[in-house]
Amino acid sequence: MSQLKDVLVPDVGGEEVEIIEICVAVGDKVEAEESLITVESDKASMDIPAPFAGVVKEILVQVGDKIGQDKLIMKLESAEVAEEDAKSEDKVSKSEEKAEKPAPKEEKPAKEETSKTETKAAEVGKVQEVQVPDIGDAADVDVIEVLVKVGDKVEAETGLITLETDKATMDVPAPFAGVVKELKVKTGDKVSQGSLIALIETLGAEGGTQAEATPAKEAHEEKTEAPQANAATASAPKAPPVPHHPSAGELPRTGKIHASPSVRRLAREFGVDLAQVKGSGPKNRVLKEDVQSYVKYELSRPKMTAGSSVASGSGGLQVLAPPKVDFAKFGEVEEVPLTRIQKISGPNLHRNWVTIPHVTQFEEADITEVENFRKEQNAIAEKKKLGVKITPLVFIMKAVADALKAHPVFNSSLSESGESLIQKKYYHIGIAVDTPGGLVVPVVRDVDKKGIYELSEELAEISKKAREGKLKAADMQGSCFTISSLGGIGGTAFTPIVNAPDVAILGVSRSDIKPKWNGKEFEPRLMLPLSLSYDHRVIDGAVAARFAVHLSSVLGDIRQMLL
Amino acid sequence: MSEIKTQLVVLGAGPGGYSAAFRAADLGIETVIVDARDTLGGVCLNVGCIPSKALLHVAKVIDDAREMAHHGVSFGEPQIDLDKVRSWKDSVVSQLTKGLAGMSKMRKVQHVQGYGKFTGSNTLEVDGKDGKTTIKFDNAIIAAGSEPVSLPFIPKNDDRVIDSTGALEMKDIPKKMLVLGGGIIGLEMGTVYKALGSEIDVVEFLDQLVPAADKDIIKVYQKYVKDKFNVMLETKVTNVEAKEDGLYVSFEGKQAPSEAVRYDKVLVAVGRRPNGGLLDADKAGVKVDERGFINVDKQMKTNVNHIYAIGDLVGQPMLAHKAVHEGHVAAEVIAGKKHFFDPRCIPSVAYTDPEIAWVGLTEKEAKEKGISVETATFPWAASGRAIASGRTEGMTKMIFEKDSGRVVGGAIVGINAGEMLGEIGLAIEMGADAEDVALTIHAHPTLNESIGLASEIFEGSITDLPNPKAKKK
Repeated sequence: MSQLKDVLVPDVGGEEVEIIEICVAVGDKVEAEESLITVESDKASMDIPAPFAGVVKEILVQVGDKIGQDKLIMKLESAEVAEEDAKSEDKVSKSEEKAEKPAPKEEKPAKEETSKTETKAAEVGKVQEVQVPDIGDAADVDVIEVLVKVGDKVEAETGLITLETDKATMDVPAPFAGVVKELKVKTGDKVSQGSLIALIETLGAEGGTQAEATPAKEAHEEKTEAPQANAATASAPKAPPVPHHPSAGELPRTGKIHASPSVRRLAREFGVDLAQVKGSGPKNRVLKEDVQSYVKYELSRPKMTAGSSVASGSGGLQVLAPPKVDFAKFGEVEEVPLTRIQKISGPNLHRNWVTIPHVTQFEEADITEVENFRKEQNAIAEKKKLGVKITPLVFIMKAVADALKAHPVFNSSLSESGESLIQKKYYHIGIAVDTPGGLVVPVVRDVDKKGIYELSEELAEISKKAREGKLKAADMQGSCFTISSLGGIGGTAFTPIVNAPDVAILGVSRSDIKPKWNGKEFEPRLMLPLSLSYDHRVIDGAVAARFAVHLSSVLGDIRQMLL
Repeated sequence: MSEIKTQLVVLGAGPGGYSAAFRAADLGIETVIVDARDTLGGVCLNVGCIPSKALLHVAKVIDDAREMAHHGVSFGEPQIDLDKVRSWKDSVVSQLTKGLAGMSKMRKVQHVQGYGKFTGSNTLEVDGKDGKTTIKFDNAIIAAGSEPVSLPFIPKNDDRVIDSTGALEMKDIPKKMLVLGGGIIGLEMGTVYKALGSEIDVVEFLDQLVPAADKDIIKVYQKYVKDKFNVMLETKVTNVEAKEDGLYVSFEGKQAPSEAVRYDKVLVAVGRRPNGGLLDADKAGVKVDERGFINVDKQMKTNVNHIYAIGDLVGQPMLAHKAVHEGHVAAEVIAGKKHFFDPRCIPSVAYTDPEIAWVGLTEKEAKEKGISVETATFPWAASGRAIASGRTEGMTKMIFEKDSGRVVGGAIVGINAGEMLGEIGLAIEMGADAEDVALTIHAHPTLNESIGLASEIFEGSITDLPNPKAKKK
């Protein structure tokens, strides 16, 4: 006779996907490759096809369920065997379907068998209107798809129609299980909150049908999960809440918070919205510890890790978590932990990158003369055995100090309130140094007061200390401005990240001989590319351009610094 | 006129008021409590909850003794010495008020006797036996409670018309008494007088006694008392005529007798009215609504920042235990704590025979609020303890949220119902679900185990009854 076969979820990319539609009903005959359910991951939605032809005997999932590979979704009676008595089979399944309709929800420990007797007469057979629920501010929203047809049996939370607002598309779910008696909308219609969608004849207060026939334990878990997932879908057009504590429920919860009186009191004291706190106790009960860790986390939020999002208040950013990818699927991999410095600097860089509105100004400085001078001086120094080697960076530092004096706004920091500038009267310059452990920024103090030799010696010393990892915290504090030089390596330009609380940073790339028009002819000149990133909240573009020109001009003729 | 300066004045020394005052004192706040009575405790201790329980105890013993005659033990007709009963009741009250006075002294809470009224945003004038006192305060907690509602068509100044206070005075035992109002207070007093020998009629305007409770619970009660009380539902009193030989009461409505009925006494128990309007609160800038209620936020603050209000006059339910918790919150907020009055449920108990008790949502409330619930009822006819006590009429009903199975309410009718309610309240506050309660081992045989058994019915694991949810496999 017939043979019942399980249909499992195929490889769907290693992640959990949400069921957004169930395309078949019990009793349906399906061909091989015909869609059974539609699932949606964060990337795409896809249909899961029938692996073989047959008759749907049992559906074990419902819309809103999250499923992963190998999850049992339904049972099909394979066609080869069923074909022979397909006709009678059809009748049987039809009658079975009818019998199953009134299966009442109250059978909490769900039965495999369908109940035929425990019908709640009062709740059955009542035709009720289904209206468009609260869909945010949107009105006159387009119906882009009607997902059911008259006569369809729908589960509670099954999508009836799909709406598209300017912000999002969403399904309007059936508020209860039933049979669609009449559809009041069609594709292309415009609806608003309260618009009549359909008339549905109820099956039970919340409808128990095939989905209830899952093994008891699963059914229990899914029951608590599914409505939440659907609540999320229904409220889709509203901007999702700013992500907070990682334990904040991924699914927005609706007022049914599981927390004892003492925990509620604690939450009140800290002004914590318990709906944002995910409980770690039995049955997701929010414990005191959960509230404490939530508060702790919220307080430390500005210092978050590189992978998480920066958010402050309702105006915060919302960033998707990076996709989880099993790289090993594509080839050999090895996990190497970040260095200590990377772990420390990462969150700072991330904060600076997302909180400072950056603009980068590019400029070139003609350093032909200064390079000649530098080489001459190094030759002299070598002869005199002074033991000092002047690098181009020292001249850049002096030029920067000069430009900072001329454009004091570059030598400032934004006050904590963001309403005033702290103007600095000293000229300490941070130098980004590449070390085996990562990037560090030691600070050279009072650059304006020191001579070229002195600076060269100091620079050599701190660079050495940096490479050996011997810098102290004090060595890396107090900078006004930072220089990041990649000139020794190469590149034509880059966009450095401002090193808060500085308001600007100078990126230096590799100098190159370029033809420059001197009025009569092209002349080979040694040009140094400069990339000046600045905090646009503090510095205007014109000032930045002037600063860059000033730098380039001073580097072109260092005698100007004496003026 | 004497003058007192204090950090906090509490106006009213009922359970809410004295709890607020004691809590405040314990938190280091200098506190004065004002009450018209000489003793602390307010209505509850002096003329409410406590004395009525003393009399209900008397009633219970009389009824139990009578009941025993059917089971082989006869005590004979009770001989009632009313003066002695009254003095016993008074001794119960005085024991408690003395205790309170001692605790108040220990905490250095100053008790000013007299009737307090506001004279400004930071002043209160107390008119007492020993003259007037002006109290200057930084903060105030209004805890002035409520008083019985009187009806316009009922003769005043006739000592045959009594309210709950008069009923507790027990001047005599009327032959025939009408209880006007089928709420908790009326039924409790009716229970007492019935046991002492009065014939009791109860008239209720609505279609159900104790209208707040669910119908199925009240049905059990009504069935049990049908031979004790003559209950007239959907009926109202239109006139009370005082004559020499009694009060002649005319009725109108569904179960109204065609002619006026003569009663020896009429107990008016149609509800309580908040005292918000009697305090000159407007002089302090505190808004009082037209019914006498004062609006407060979840920290018990009125519209005036340093004045708080708690208890009966901030809204229903008018229950001592609600007031106590509100009083604590108000005191703690004044002491700088960020506390809020944030309960999930407040229990209600009618100490009638049998008792009627409920907490959390009732079924009809759930319906009104659109919360999908499922109930499970354990009939006491299946309880060994109830059978052994000869009281099988009771039932225990648990109300669960449908999807989560979480306990959202419960109601019990039966002896000792009020004592059993605590477990359900805790279950609601802790967010326990049916499974939690069903898996909690309850002592056997107790009446209390009916709560666990009702939860087992919901869970489908009940064995003390046929199990409709049994999984036949």
